[in-house]
Amino acid sequence: MKPLLRAVRLSKVYTEGGVSTHALNEVDLEVAPAEFTAIAGPSGSGKSTLLHLLGCLDRPTSGETWLGDRRTDRLDPAASARLRLFEIGFVFQAYNLIPVLTALENAAFVLELRGVPRRERLAKAMEALEALGIAHLADRKPNQLSGGQQQRVAVARALAAAPRVVLADEPTANLDSQTGRSLIEHMKRLNAERGVTFVFSTHDPRLLEHVTRIVRLEDGRVVDDERRPAA
Amino acid sequence: MWTLAWRNVWRRRSRSLVTVGVVGSVVFFTLVFFAFTEATKTGMFQVLTEESGHLLITSATAKEARDFDATLIREAAAVEAAIARELPGALVARALDVPALVSGETRSRGVRLTGIEHDAALRERFQERHLVSGRLPAPESLDEIALGAALARALRVELGDLVYVFAPGTEGWGAAAYVLVGLLQFPQSSADVQAAVLSLVGAQELAAPGAASRFEIHLPAGREALVEARVKDAKDRLATAFGDSVSVEDWREASPDLAALLDLMDPVMTIFAAFLFILAGLFVVNTVYLGLVERIREFGVIIAVGADRWRVMRMVLSESLVLVLTGTAFGLAFAGALVAGLSGGFSIPGMEEIMEEFGLPAVLYPSVTAGQVVTTMAFAVGVALLAALWPAWKAGRLQPVEAMRHVA
Repeated sequence: MKPLLRAVRLSKVYTEGGVSTHALNEVDLEVAPAEFTAIAGPSGSGKSTLLHLLGCLDRPTSGETWLGDRRTDRLDPAASARLRLFEIGFVFQAYNLIPVLTALENAAFVLELRGVPRRERLAKAMEALEALGIAHLADRKPNQLSGGQQQRVAVARALAAAPRVVLADEPTANLDSQTGRSLIEHMKRLNAERGVTFVFSTHDPRLLEHVTRIVRLEDGRVVDDERRPAA
Repeated sequence: MWTLAWRNVWRRRSRSLVTVGVVGSVVFFTLVFFAFTEATKTGMFQVLTEESGHLLITSATAKEARDFDATLIREAAAVEAAIARELPGALVARALDVPALVSGETRSRGVRLTGIEHDAALRERFQERHLVSGRLPAPESLDEIALGAALARALRVELGDLVYVFAPGTEGWGAAAYVLVGLLQFPQSSADVQAAVLSLVGAQELAAPGAASRFEIHLPAGREALVEARVKDAKDRLATAFGDSVSVEDWREASPDLAALLDLMDPVMTIFAAFLFILAGLFVVNTVYLGLVERIREFGVIIAVGADRWRVMRMVLSESLVLVLTGTAFGLAFAGALVAGLSGGFSIPGMEEIMEEFGLPAVLYPSVTAGQVVTTMAFAVGVALLAALWPAWKAGRLQPVEAMRHVA
């Protein structure tokens, strides 16, 4: 099967005040469609950097990134934005919802950016909230939601737009164990039922229990790539 | 986008309220200043044309005249007939201006003696405006005179006294005695001390039989634009009828200084309004920029999920527009209410004399033209867009990863 996401000899060097930091060092990675993959490793191992590069949020110092048949590491800002808008969904550690929008409006936000008519985008957003078990919270603002509920809204925002892949950066880091487990179960169900490709960066063992593949990073390099049967 | 902009604007309620208040105040004062400028222009135009008419006919050589003879329109009757033919319904004042010496029993003064004959409505208006005691000389009288009150005081003459007039170098009697029948008052004190009025025939007998110095033509009142059109039409017709024998001037040519002043008012007010809007723009820049700084992480996420630079810039610009248009709406509403309330006319108690001195009527009628409202709104929108340009540019340049890591 053709990979959905590819990193080829990917490297990223940050230079600040004359000091260079090699966040990634010639990483090779392929993610197939419908995978439920974790990129694990200690703090500073390059997990988030890898996710950012795969998601066209940043440019590598060298190497290539691919989404399907399209090379994505040299896109201009407008093309990158367009790719993120139509192909890639994001879930961030800090939920990052827009405080003045309701849960439903937050979930519909990416669709609004795409120019989807209001009725259609709200319907799709509601569908996504229902899939995550929080449709009853549609009219609430983020400050009226718990951490877990906010994170589920963030996942709904990513899913409502039906992207080819969802990249989640430490999605359970700020959640308690029960809430984190619940979120993971929702995402796993969506992966199983709808074939949504998920790639997480995490060091949360709860999340690692459920993934079918763990790519371990250390000091910016892949040190292990473990595939498991579905749990 | 507009819903998001509206909600974002009111996240910092007090700051946004101050900015809305400033913008609203600027819009309010701009429109009020425009309204009072319009009232002043209309009032001055009204006073000028009521005093001196819309058109002035003089001798073709009057402006460069060095002697009395060159100021005269010899065929006054023919000119009068042509006016009646070309402009039926126009009110006319006919005048003969004679430089003369006026004397009481013990004192004398050099004056500009005017022999004047008004159409009935104009005579009534002149009387109402300027006669403070007695009456005007009768239209056919040869021995009655009215003087400015200050002139009468200077000559130490009262109603009923004899006043002697000498007009040397002229073609009529050259000298005569008149009974003082009326005292006049003018807003400008310089006119008060020089005014001496005879009937037209009295002045003609004294200085230039059958002649006149000027004809003032008063067209029917109406909206300024309509009057201007009528003035132009009337001037063209009279100029064609008279050829080069007399000079036909509209009120602008007859009073160029006042016309220039009136023409300057709108541009000066517009520039003043522009300065006010620039000041308001500083408040808008501050509010929009602070809004951006407080939400850098949020903008980072918006860019991360797929908004391009132009979309982000439009979001910032729309917030600025919401802020400014809200203030503008309030400013328009309050200014509209005030101008509508005063549009029926208002006067400032105790200021009537000063207003008269400046050529203004006692009652002013504020109004705002559509052009002025459009100008005000254009300034408001311009300020909103210009003030938000820099913050919008900064927002569009944010790098998503760095922005999402930003700590406020």
